[in-house]
Amino acid sequence: MAQIRLKNVCKRWGSFVGVDNFDLEIPDREFLVLLGPSGCGKTTTMRMIAGLETVTEGEIWLGDRMVNKLEPKDRDISMVFQSYGLYPNMTVYENIRFPLRVRRIPKEEHDKRVMRAAEMVELTDFLHRRPAALSGGQRQRVALARAIVREPNAFLMDEPLSNLDAKLRVSTRAQIKNLHHTLKTTTIYVTHDQIEAMTLADRVVVMNKGVVQQVGTPTEIYDTPANTFVAGFIGSPAMNLIAGTMKDGVFSGQNISVSGFNKSIAGEVTLGFRAEDANVATEGGEISAPIYSIELLGEATMISMRVAGELVSIKAAKDFRAEIGDTISASVPAGICHLFDSKTGARIEQD
Amino acid sequence: MSASVGKQPLYLKAAISGFVILWLIVAAFPFLWTVWGSFKVEADFFSRVGWWNAIVGTRTELQTGSPFTGDGYYGAWVTRDFWRAVVNTGIVTISVTAISLVLGTLGGYALARSGHKYAFWILIAALVFRAMPHITLVSGYLLPFFELNIWGHLATSIIVLVAINQPFTLWMLHSFFLSIPKDLDESAMVDGCTRFQAFRLVVIPVMWPGVITTGLFSFLLAYNDFAVTSMLLSQDNQTMVPKISSFLGSIQEQGNVMYAVAAVVSATVPLFILVLFFQRQIVSGLTAGAVKG
Repeated sequence: MAQIRLKNVCKRWGSFVGVDNFDLEIPDREFLVLLGPSGCGKTTTMRMIAGLETVTEGEIWLGDRMVNKLEPKDRDISMVFQSYGLYPNMTVYENIRFPLRVRRIPKEEHDKRVMRAAEMVELTDFLHRRPAALSGGQRQRVALARAIVREPNAFLMDEPLSNLDAKLRVSTRAQIKNLHHTLKTTTIYVTHDQIEAMTLADRVVVMNKGVVQQVGTPTEIYDTPANTFVAGFIGSPAMNLIAGTMKDGVFSGQNISVSGFNKSIAGEVTLGFRAEDANVATEGGEISAPIYSIELLGEATMISMRVAGELVSIKAAKDFRAEIGDTISASVPAGICHLFDSKTGARIEQD
Repeated sequence: MSASVGKQPLYLKAAISGFVILWLIVAAFPFLWTVWGSFKVEADFFSRVGWWNAIVGTRTELQTGSPFTGDGYYGAWVTRDFWRAVVNTGIVTISVTAISLVLGTLGGYALARSGHKYAFWILIAALVFRAMPHITLVSGYLLPFFELNIWGHLATSIIVLVAINQPFTLWMLHSFFLSIPKDLDESAMVDGCTRFQAFRLVVIPVMWPGVITTGLFSFLLAYNDFAVTSMLLSQDNQTMVPKISSFLGSIQEQGNVMYAVAAVVSATVPLFILVLFFQRQIVSGLTAGAVKG
């Protein structure tokens, strides 16, 4: 068990910047999720921690050791790969045992530890099979068992659920959460799925184009996004973002006018609010626009409207019914709104 | 669809079978003819009277009292020491295959996993050297080998054959290694292997079809080589192919040609056994390399 520190870590290939100035301290036992779209540098960051990628600049510390120059095998971390990386010529048992074998852990311990790891991921019935004879979910669990059998300093997981179907993803997610609770090992988990990030993480790091956008608990990230990128990336649907002008505490744009903001803010701003915070109003709401489309989700009804050139979503009650083209009014009080600088995208604090 | 596949018209079936049989005859005839003829005397196999003599063995019966004779084999193996050529071929082919595979797997793996651009140019250079006729290499080697006084030894021709063969093994194994996902080595390295352990414990076990296929091609190259071995080996150290050639080319005496025929058959049989034995690995190896490489 150990804490992990990344000190101003950079990764460059020629002039291309993969990861820019990543600086973070991950306390022992934390479950940290790196979240971002494809190519944002999250996997590169993880591979640098694992030692599979060299560090161009900066330092990586595992516990009290600076590991920049260490081989992956000397870093005492274990990793679950997106494609699982199982050894096709070995049985499940041998796959799980492999890390013990190459690390010369006394032979008497092997069986006990393999069986315990296999039990944790419910694989005891499949130990004699080859990976080719397993389903995707089972292979995933073999990869997990192989990672935990050694009791390393830290787990690294690189999109471990992305090859599973939706249902299996939910149950395996729960299993990973439970494993972390049992083992209490520092875990770094890479994903592009914000739901995985929200459900698993103690803390989330949102990245874009190699730059860290925000670090915080899932609630912080959700409730106070640091910029328009985070706001637009987190949540389903993503936060509505509307460009407009602020004057005398009133935000206005096409089809929208919200009052009650701090009067010190003025000029071009971007206004954001979440679909579930807004409501359909009988009349006199801040937004008044014709319905662009209406989708029944079961537990709610999702309405989209065109406001200031953007499609804006609003969650209505599940029994709300209307036709496309009907003009409706929606209440978006200043209290639920976030404001962002229209040029930099950075959050504007309102107090 | 399945019904129509089962019910091909009769003429089509006949045409297909006929073609296959024709092809089999064309392909197999020279060999079968040689095998059959190797048990006759020269006067029958090279008869001036008619080709049927080689089949029925008229002269063989007159000379030896039976329609089949082992004289050719006896002459080649015992009188003319063909067994020594067999031993030499064994040493040369096994050494060439082993050395080529050791260098080829290590080099092919390195090239396949290298992120550098020069890996590509090394492979292109290898292709150029592979394309050159073998004899061009040999002529260049002759003088230095005489001067160094290493001409005529088996080891010398092993080195030259490895040099000729290496570009091919590098290419072949490189494409096999490319078809093995990088995640496999990386997960082995995180699990606690050095790069070399990952190669030995994880990558190579998955590579067997590729190694066997490449090994077989290396074996055949060394086994069948004439250009290098005939130029670089002394009389005593000759391998089978130049030895057979010397049976044919030396001053004609009665029965000598039949030594060559018997030796040819002796040299071919092991190849048949080898290919039959490894055919499954070869096929899976060839297709794996072809589809994913």
